[in-house]
Amino acid sequence: MLSSLHSPRHLLLHHRYPTLPLPSKPLSSSSPKSLHTSHSQTLPLSPPPPQSPTPTSQILTTRESLLARRTTALDLAETFLRGLRRTEPHLHSFLHVSDAVLKEAEEIDRKIERNEAVGPLAGILVAVKDNICTADMPTTAGSRVLEGYRPPFDATAVRKLRESGAIIVGKTNLDEFGMGSTTEGSAYQVTANPWDLSRVPGGSSGGSAAAVSARQCVVSLGSDTGGSVRQPASFCGVVGLKPTYGRVSRYGLVAYASSLDVIGCFGSSVADAGILLHSISGHDRFDATSSKRQVPDFTSQFISKDFLESKPLKGLRVGVIRETLDDGVDPEVISSIHGATSHLEELGCTVTEVSLPSFSLGLPAYYILASSESSSNLSRYDGVRYGNQVAADELNSLYEHSRAKGFGSEVKMRILMGTYALSAGYYDAYYKRAQQVRTLIRENFKDALDKNDILISPAAPSAAYKIGEKKNDPLAMYAGDIMTVNVNLAGLPALVLPCGFVEGGSNSLPVGFQLIGAAFEEEKLLKVGHIFEQTLQGCNFIPPLVADDFA
Amino acid sequence: MGSRALLLLRATPPRTTDLNLNSSFFSKSLNFQNRVRSYSVRSGLDPPDLPRLAENARISLTPREVEEFALKIQKVVDWYLSLSLCVCVFGQLQAVDLQSIQPAIRADTDGGNFRDDLPETFENREAMISAVPNYEEPFIKVPKVLNKE
Repeated sequence: MLSSLHSPRHLLLHHRYPTLPLPSKPLSSSSPKSLHTSHSQTLPLSPPPPQSPTPTSQILTTRESLLARRTTALDLAETFLRGLRRTEPHLHSFLHVSDAVLKEAEEIDRKIERNEAVGPLAGILVAVKDNICTADMPTTAGSRVLEGYRPPFDATAVRKLRESGAIIVGKTNLDEFGMGSTTEGSAYQVTANPWDLSRVPGGSSGGSAAAVSARQCVVSLGSDTGGSVRQPASFCGVVGLKPTYGRVSRYGLVAYASSLDVIGCFGSSVADAGILLHSISGHDRFDATSSKRQVPDFTSQFISKDFLESKPLKGLRVGVIRETLDDGVDPEVISSIHGATSHLEELGCTVTEVSLPSFSLGLPAYYILASSESSSNLSRYDGVRYGNQVAADELNSLYEHSRAKGFGSEVKMRILMGTYALSAGYYDAYYKRAQQVRTLIRENFKDALDKNDILISPAAPSAAYKIGEKKNDPLAMYAGDIMTVNVNLAGLPALVLPCGFVEGGSNSLPVGFQLIGAAFEEEKLLKVGHIFEQTLQGCNFIPPLVADDFA
Repeated sequence: MGSRALLLLRATPPRTTDLNLNSSFFSKSLNFQNRVRSYSVRSGLDPPDLPRLAENARISLTPREVEEFALKIQKVVDWYLSLSLCVCVFGQLQAVDLQSIQPAIRADTDGGNFRDDLPETFENREAMISAVPNYEEPFIKVPKVLNKE
């Protein structure tokens, strides 16, 4: 056994094993070839600058190492679990950790030993947000009402992960039912930000973002109803990808607001987020909103940075959304966005300012639609068929007490607000009007994306804030979603990439920026994001908590 | 300013907490609170009646929750009303009349791929049944159903 295999850093930084023999050709045809080839060619030649390692695909490097027999899935799994056990007492990212990880890893090793074909995610540790159903682990959606609940089926996205060879390492913490932006709304625990343990990781997919950031897993799944993948990605310094509405089946996703919900991806590199998205995308007969469109190999067009021209994005039209750089946004965030746009200009992009006139209407419209839909979707938690039941001598009391005991206060409030907005006589003033705003926002985006290839905005108005800071002021928390909700209303894909740091007391905190594309153009976003990430200088998005392991 | 609007909206004690928002996105809509009032009076929209909403949503609330939620929900509903105003307020700014806009029920992507409307047998019936809190083959048991009305 190679001694270099005891730390995952060797999988992150190519230059750590430049002298090791590399496989002459990919052993499986299912891996994205051009990336694979370019990596093999460039590995020994291009040690990244020591201060800022360029993010590389952990999925592809793991695959190479496994297939070249330089490491085993068991070794990798043990390394990750060790790291997870060390960091978890500080972070609380997981609500449940699988006890089958090592067994599944051994299974992968046996297959490789027997030269059997293994899937593109073979041996990759994937964490799954706890509102996505897993048949072999509890699925609580962060709520007491589902405490101990084990779904009788896997979500389609989870099934696809398993079929690709992925190992589900556990279920990550979230704001109850996805309703929140800090992960403080979980009924079980508060997750800390790996960059500063006194701060929130963002939410609602805070557990999934923190887990990837702290290298407790390779990639993770989240869900994004109003920004729940993108905002925590920004807060934790990882890549977050919200696919087009319809790209990924929601079968098995605990429904919050069905006209907005999507399953999204976290990774420590753009390539990993793209490979993960590829493995879960595609039509599913169990979700009528899932699209029948072809799923492209999102990362096949990636070019290694050593083969980049001086202006690799020449001609790309980038629109910066004016309304997102308003005076309510942290000046440091605004300057990181300016930094990111200058970087895009250096890469050859034409950057102009665009306006989305209905932008500010998106926030109240989003909250009306989301709370209205949640009041309907969450009516299923009545304590009768599953979940926790409070005994009563009459059926209505059983419902009322089971729900009163099972739901936390933010969930109760949103259900009540939704019930109000949908009341007879109020529908036109609230729900219908919000849907009309959705039409306006869709049209605004269409106009802007006719004139531009991609749009740029911050992912959140600030970097990660302190735990408890906004807990008792719903409007202050809702205001933080202004950058992301419009994208959900329009159903568009968006990619959040770390682009810089802001001062946050004793620690510097990562900041991400958001790239928004036209429907089903994830491939373009990922390609631009990959070039951006490969050429960004002087940033290292590995948090201090685990940096020693990767130094 | 926010609490003045509330007083005019409903006869409840004034809120002690202020909105304390440093976001311009909110201050924009909050500046229109006085028009919110006139809109809500004109449109006859009642403020949230918490006990009634809780009954409709089948959630029992403690008196403390009623008090706490009433304040918070009122705040959010005041803010929602800014949207109802966008015809007269934002409409002037944008020259957009929402009345002529078609509502969109979801994102305009693909979808509507319904499967055939045929019954299918769920494979893992045992696991599904075992999740039922109170089961007596072949029934799911519930207490007596009383109609209050």
